[in-house]
Amino acid sequence: MASEGLWPVPGDAPTTEDLSRCVHCGLCLSSCPTYLVTGLEVESPRGRIHFAKLIAEGRSELTPAIGRHWDLCLQCRACEAVCPSGVAYGRIQEHARAQLSGTPGGRVQRGLRRLMLRNVIARPRLLAAAMAPARWYTGSPVRGPLRRTGVLRLLGRLGAGERQLPARTGRPFRPGDKLAQPAEARERALLFSGCVMGELFGEVHRATGRVLARAGVATEAPVTQSCCGALHAHDGDLEFARKLARRNIAAFEGSDLPIVVNSAGCGAAMKEYGDLLAGDAKWAGRARTFAARVKDPSEYLAEVGADIPGRLAAKVAYQDACHLAHAQGIREQPRELLRGIGGCDLVETPGADECCGAAGIYSLVQPEMSARLRSRKAEQFREARPDIVVTANPGCQMQYNAAIAEAGIDARVMHLLEVLDEAQAAAEQGQR
Amino acid sequence: MPTRRDLIAALERAVGREHVLWRPEDLAVYEFDGTIEKSMPHAVVLPGTTEEVAAAVRACNRLGVPITPRGAGTGLSGGSVPAKRGVVIGTGRMRQILEIDPVDLVAVVEPGVPNLDVSKAAAPFGLFYAPDPSSQQACSIGGNVAENAGGPHCLALGVTQNHVLGMEVVTAAGEVAWLGGRVVDSFGYDLRGAFIGSEGTLGIVTKVVLKLLPVPASVVTLLAAFDTVEQASETVSSIIGAGIIPAAMEMMDRLCLQAAEAGFQCGYPPDAGAVLLVELDGLPEAIDSEAARVRAECLERGAVDVRVASSDRERALLWKGRKNAIPALGRLAPNYYIVDGVVPRSKLVDVMQVVGEVSERTGIPIANVFHAGDGNLHPLVLFDEREPGMTERVLDAAAQIMKACVDAGGALSGEHGIGAEKRQFMPWLYGETDIENMERLRGTFGNTGQFNPCKLLPGGIGCGEMAHQAAAVRAAGPDAYV
Repeated sequence: MASEGLWPVPGDAPTTEDLSRCVHCGLCLSSCPTYLVTGLEVESPRGRIHFAKLIAEGRSELTPAIGRHWDLCLQCRACEAVCPSGVAYGRIQEHARAQLSGTPGGRVQRGLRRLMLRNVIARPRLLAAAMAPARWYTGSPVRGPLRRTGVLRLLGRLGAGERQLPARTGRPFRPGDKLAQPAEARERALLFSGCVMGELFGEVHRATGRVLARAGVATEAPVTQSCCGALHAHDGDLEFARKLARRNIAAFEGSDLPIVVNSAGCGAAMKEYGDLLAGDAKWAGRARTFAARVKDPSEYLAEVGADIPGRLAAKVAYQDACHLAHAQGIREQPRELLRGIGGCDLVETPGADECCGAAGIYSLVQPEMSARLRSRKAEQFREARPDIVVTANPGCQMQYNAAIAEAGIDARVMHLLEVLDEAQAAAEQGQR
Repeated sequence: MPTRRDLIAALERAVGREHVLWRPEDLAVYEFDGTIEKSMPHAVVLPGTTEEVAAAVRACNRLGVPITPRGAGTGLSGGSVPAKRGVVIGTGRMRQILEIDPVDLVAVVEPGVPNLDVSKAAAPFGLFYAPDPSSQQACSIGGNVAENAGGPHCLALGVTQNHVLGMEVVTAAGEVAWLGGRVVDSFGYDLRGAFIGSEGTLGIVTKVVLKLLPVPASVVTLLAAFDTVEQASETVSSIIGAGIIPAAMEMMDRLCLQAAEAGFQCGYPPDAGAVLLVELDGLPEAIDSEAARVRAECLERGAVDVRVASSDRERALLWKGRKNAIPALGRLAPNYYIVDGVVPRSKLVDVMQVVGEVSERTGIPIANVFHAGDGNLHPLVLFDEREPGMTERVLDAAAQIMKACVDAGGALSGEHGIGAEKRQFMPWLYGETDIENMERLRGTFGNTGQFNPCKLLPGGIGCGEMAHQAAAVRAAGPDAYV
């Protein structure tokens, strides 16, 4: 029998209201990557919700075993997308992690993780300094020879991380940096630049700017914006996530312009700021207003209705980013944009909307499960032989770099907006 | 009873250490299925091969520990809930599709394969597996065999029983046997037939040979909206009476429509009192005229709107809402008790009236979604199990509905199985001799009362009513049971 007061129950523990939505029908099981791999109910969404129920009802303590089952969850939210009863699984899981923060098991690891997330990821200057070696390395002449020696394989997690790095990173993009502008603007929008996205994928932002400019949209990236807080929320550090959310809300206030977010994980989190700050009387309304302005670029382009010709003769495999497909419900718009490119052969690989195992910092903290999921993708790529693997989230892009290397095929990994930009530029050249 | 340590050690020898769960918190997620029944096992094992299943069964038999087989745990009659605790043997790791043969028109699969995966794997050959329970994305073929699962498209094509040619099983005695085979075998005792729908009381399926059918040349899906459930029920009889057997004919009442629409924006009419979803398949020439006749019958019986799905996407959406309608009711109440009765089609209107009366009398809301063409009702009693005494009142209301089905000349289950809660009603339909014969059949496969105990047949020692126990379990906590 569980006694009281053994572990703290913070205000952010999963709510009874959220938990009682689950009627344990089990329809989520076959959408859950970790259930598909293990066949275990304890590694399923239904099981993880039941753990939270057991704790809420006082039938079980929050044991280290339950913590491990929760930690193995990717938070990909595929289960949420298929749940007939509308269980807010993402929210339950974030709150479960918040509850986990109060328990002794794995305190050191969690502490280190939180330190890194709070003090590096969310601090632009430190992040830039931390990313500098990686940026130097990707473009350096030592990379090729080093890879061939096989010495990287001996480095464990570091070696796995190396395989995730893109072929080259290009210049970083930071808030306030200039974006391409249309000759004549018919719309205006704001760009969210993010943390790792801006440091390692600055080219994606510039490509986004060019694509929007061709569609007649003038875009700028407000200077005072900061990290979106998604990684912190997924880790259960809701307090810090709220702090970042408030900062961003303030940074983008003063107009009702759409906020374009080309990183699916950030976009999903920012669309849910209303939820995150629901308990904060001062900010709840502002958060809801902000959230309603957030758009994925594929969603925004569909709304703006720009029909810019593009040309790219390539076999393209689009892989849904979980937080775009499952959390934001955006599946068709990116595919439509790709279908609109002349010469583009869009192939659907089985399990295109299944998690690749990147899942924020998951590939670092759960390397084994992450690798198993990556291998499933590698197998699909080996079968389909695409020229380009396209997705819409930085973490996924990095994981697909590794998957391509594992598959041993010659393919590029690109963000959807980079593909559009390249195709549109090629079409412009052809016209001239 | 052996000590827990002995039991775990024996199971680990049978299936390997990493495939035995024993921590109380881990066991707690195996205490339920899709129903409100709850009971925690002492251990869960997940064998990977037929031999491991047999070894696990024999280990339990040797130690005298009850066994409960489990597929995906999506069942709707408590079939996989370990009523007398003991060991749950799950098929979650046996998920290989071993063979798709487009000439013999069969699929050979392991028991843990989800139903829908069979049709997905057969699709490149233009084939599909017909029984389509609403939980088909998750429910397992092994569980389908155990419960003789149905589904919307069983109206014209029949249930699981009609689509399984043969299977390899581990009997309750722990022996490996083949029942039926790859071809239709119609002589001698039909043990294959006896096993299908035995609700996991005769053994565990370890391989199944399924019949595959060609995907129909064309499909038309109609959605007819009515003001009342009564009008929709009458229409069902008049369509069948006109000599048309649709591929599927489903009904949803207002509560279900609202819940499904909230979940999936299927385009259901928001103000309708009930809708009929009718699907016709076959050659394009034939079904166009059939569709016109169905439309005419609907309008004649007072349909306010009849519309035909204009694209595959719209058709898929109409079905998505229907197939998710039951769990979507989680939006309206924290719990539901699902009744699965069958009535002769001609009595549909009368029994639906009783359902309405029961709801009124008890003051408990009841939603309705069902396989109208088969007369297979699914009244869903909506409640909150945390309210003291509520579960008992709900079970009582469900019993009244079941009685009405039986009195109308119907049956106790259309597709979910008898399971735990309804076995007490078996004497309403079967005489003493019938039940004795069934008990003897159960013994033939080596079940001494410990293999999925407290299911299907009435009686048995130490079988309380699980739903009633649930509150006690909650109060006592998991440790109290170890």
